[in-house]
Amino acid sequence: MTDPYRLLGVPATADDETIRLAYLAAIRACPPERDRHRFEQLRAAYEAIASAQARRSHALFDTTAPTPEDVLDALSATFQPRRPSEQRLRRVLGEKP
Amino acid sequence: MSRKAKANPKKPPSPHDMDSTALAARAEAELALSRHKEAIELYKELLKRERRPIWVEGLAACYAGRAHSLAAKGMLKEALVLWRNRRQICGKPLVEGPYLTWLMQAGERGEAMRLLADSSLPEAARAELETRLAATLLTLPQNTPLPDLPADSALLRHRPAALAALQAYGQGDWAALGECLQAIPFRSPYRDLKPLLKALALLTTDPAAATDRATEVIARLPADGPFERLAAALRCAVLPAGRWLTALHGLDEVGRQLVLDLKGCPDPLRPLLLELAKLGDHPNPGQFFDLLARHRRVLPEGMAANFCRQLLPHAANRQKSHTDIFGALPEVERSHLAAQAVEARGERGPATPHWRRMAELLGGNPEKKRHAALIWRRLSGMDLAALGEAGALLTDAIVCLERSVDLDPDQRDTQLRLIAEHRHAGALQHARARLDQALPRFPKDAELLLEAVRVALAGKAFKKAVGLAKRVLELDPINPKVRRLIGQAHFSHARKQIKAKNLPSARKELEAAAEWLRGSEDGATLNLLRALAGDDPASADTAIRDVVADLGGALLGGFHLALEAGRLGLDAAKLLKQGKVDLAATPAPATVVALARALEAAREMDTTLRDTTLRNALNPLRPALRRAAAGRYAESEQRLICEAWLRRKESELLRLYADAALKQRPRQPLFVYFKAMAQYANMPYRIPERMQYDLEDAAEAARAQGDRRTFQRIQDLLHPVESDSFYPEDEGDFVGGLMNDDPGAMFELLLHMGGEEALFSMARQAMGKKTFDALRKELGGNNKEFARALVEMMAQQARLGDVPAPAPRKPGPRKPSDINQRNLFDD
Repeated sequence: MTDPYRLLGVPATADDETIRLAYLAAIRACPPERDRHRFEQLRAAYEAIASAQARRSHALFDTTAPTPEDVLDALSATFQPRRPSEQRLRRVLGEKP
Repeated sequence: MSRKAKANPKKPPSPHDMDSTALAARAEAELALSRHKEAIELYKELLKRERRPIWVEGLAACYAGRAHSLAAKGMLKEALVLWRNRRQICGKPLVEGPYLTWLMQAGERGEAMRLLADSSLPEAARAELETRLAATLLTLPQNTPLPDLPADSALLRHRPAALAALQAYGQGDWAALGECLQAIPFRSPYRDLKPLLKALALLTTDPAAATDRATEVIARLPADGPFERLAAALRCAVLPAGRWLTALHGLDEVGRQLVLDLKGCPDPLRPLLLELAKLGDHPNPGQFFDLLARHRRVLPEGMAANFCRQLLPHAANRQKSHTDIFGALPEVERSHLAAQAVEARGERGPATPHWRRMAELLGGNPEKKRHAALIWRRLSGMDLAALGEAGALLTDAIVCLERSVDLDPDQRDTQLRLIAEHRHAGALQHARARLDQALPRFPKDAELLLEAVRVALAGKAFKKAVGLAKRVLELDPINPKVRRLIGQAHFSHARKQIKAKNLPSARKELEAAAEWLRGSEDGATLNLLRALAGDDPASADTAIRDVVADLGGALLGGFHLALEAGRLGLDAAKLLKQGKVDLAATPAPATVVALARALEAAREMDTTLRDTTLRNALNPLRPALRRAAAGRYAESEQRLICEAWLRRKESELLRLYADAALKQRPRQPLFVYFKAMAQYANMPYRIPERMQYDLEDAAEAARAQGDRRTFQRIQDLLHPVESDSFYPEDEGDFVGGLMNDDPGAMFELLLHMGGEEALFSMARQAMGKKTFDALRKELGGNNKEFARALVEMMAQQARLGDVPAPAPRKPGPRKPSDINQRNLFDD
């Protein structure tokens, strides 16, 4: 995922404090010893949008292309997990339609 | 010549013509080489002659080997045929080894059921077959007769519980599910269904919290079990966000739908997600754009437009599609997109006009002024230059900084940089005006106050500087920079008094300096100035000799004496003699390193110090420095010394030390660069071909070593215009056009881009060396003043058509890129 707002789970209109709190919560949930790569992603995301000037700079100069993961993340906000039907299960096990 | 005549004489004889011993040996050899097909034919021939057990075993091994290799290629049906031949011809048991696995993988469940009914099947094989058929038995269509199995068969006994468990899950009846799963013993053929349904239940009831637990449960399952398709789908479902999308592509269609059910993906979005999964992690931007555009109607409002806009800089050929689908972009967005598209290609210079246009448009919108300010700041190149590298920006860049600060005066870094740039350019009025604007906004900013001290010192407003310095010390009581600055200011004042023979005032200034200064080097300078400001010439000699000793010997002491002589307008040779400085011996490497540091420190602390004063201070030391080049230095020392020579434009010394370093460390990229800079810094277009090859090799080596700075410096030297141009490539006739429209601006531009030497070189070519030299003599002044006069004169002549337009974009000399240079000395 490349979008720092999505990585930190904050809206594009979030202010400094909201972003800082989201960052602190995110690194508490994923400290560097658990997942170094994820931690670095979070850190970079925070630095990219930590202040109003950084956010403006990101909006103007960031040319990172979005990834399918970004699209998935944006869409998954509307997802409602549901239980697969018995028929679906049986089909997965090999039942002919 | 006929083909027959060319026949290979070594072709092996036909098996029919061979005796059995030779044939058996050949068959064994083919089998050993895994040439199963050939070995099968040979063993078959042997068995036709006599059915020896060893040959039967050989043939069985050949069939098994061949079947394995076919199965590995996915030819399961063919592998099964060979395995059956093995039983038929060689009398081997059918149900052993990989047979059951291949049978199930090939989907031959009918054959597997028939085998199960075979009473001669060994018990172990029966148990394995029952396990493998467990999923098949759960999915038999209603009213299908069950295989004819013994009444105590676990496959039949536990089937109702397994079916009930599936039904309970489907109805979300978790209590019933628990009971049904309890009824399936751990040795049952349906045992793998238990953890799978448990994991499914976990994922359904609380997906976020259950993922780890579900992962753990699924991890315990053996690979390739009877419920593998369900297990694969669950393995995908428990992957972290994003990764499951990629893994989705590896499942079959029903498995994908099951995962999408678990994730809660609405039906209209499923085709999009499945195509997205197919694209992979790093899709082609154009294809990605097309996919989003195609499915835009099922996406939330504005989402497709937003993502497609973000993809456009990477998929420039989709701009027309974007306009057709989402409508035309406003001009400001078009400029933004054009700039981003250029930068997405890894270029920066050609994006400049687009950024400028965008900044102009945004600047007029009160809500977007700060955005415009950021663009101007970026155009200044300030972000590329390291902090503390003030003075490295071009005039145009200062204009960009001015515009940035005008639009957003709250940018403290930009304000600071702009003031420093004005101070370096000698534009103290501008610097003061900016300070008046910045200080009320940041009254407690120590760095800004420090800059105010520097500006005051540069304007010789010593009292004001001291006042400001005291404010800095209130905020930061141990700030060493401000102490040195004020101490140095008192030194400057004392020097002035010494020059004016006003020795009591000079001594007073020196006492004031002593209150501020702490370092030993400053102490030596203080003592030296005290000696020079003293009343007693006899004691002065002793004091000067002591200073030389304090400074660490002839080279460093000599430098300081010569420097002070230059500053005070004294005879350096006389002062060196007075200090008994003996420069006959070759200096030790450590003293040359110390001298390099001292050179930097002198320039850093006294920004009013002229380059010529520094150069003149080195003059008496040059013979000793030349001899010292051949000494044994550590690589870091050579680097530090060469950087110092480069910064001070000491080409001869730089070449000597770079050559010596290359003798010790052949082809070391940084020293190859220094050597080239020593010879061609001002005229990179004259670098000979051989040296260009050396530089290209050095750039590659620097890149391989991860030395990005050296790589970039070499690139800047080899391609000066391309890497630093402010003008787009597609403005090929920009220079020519400017020459016609405004020749003055054209020559200003040349001076700006190439420096004085480039302008002189062009002027020499245009007017001839003789005229040029005569003019130089007549106009006098320093290089800067002469360059200014030349620009005016040539512009006037060009308007009259006397001076030909220079070739557009001729590579001009440029300053070496010295980002982070000062950090080296900080070490």
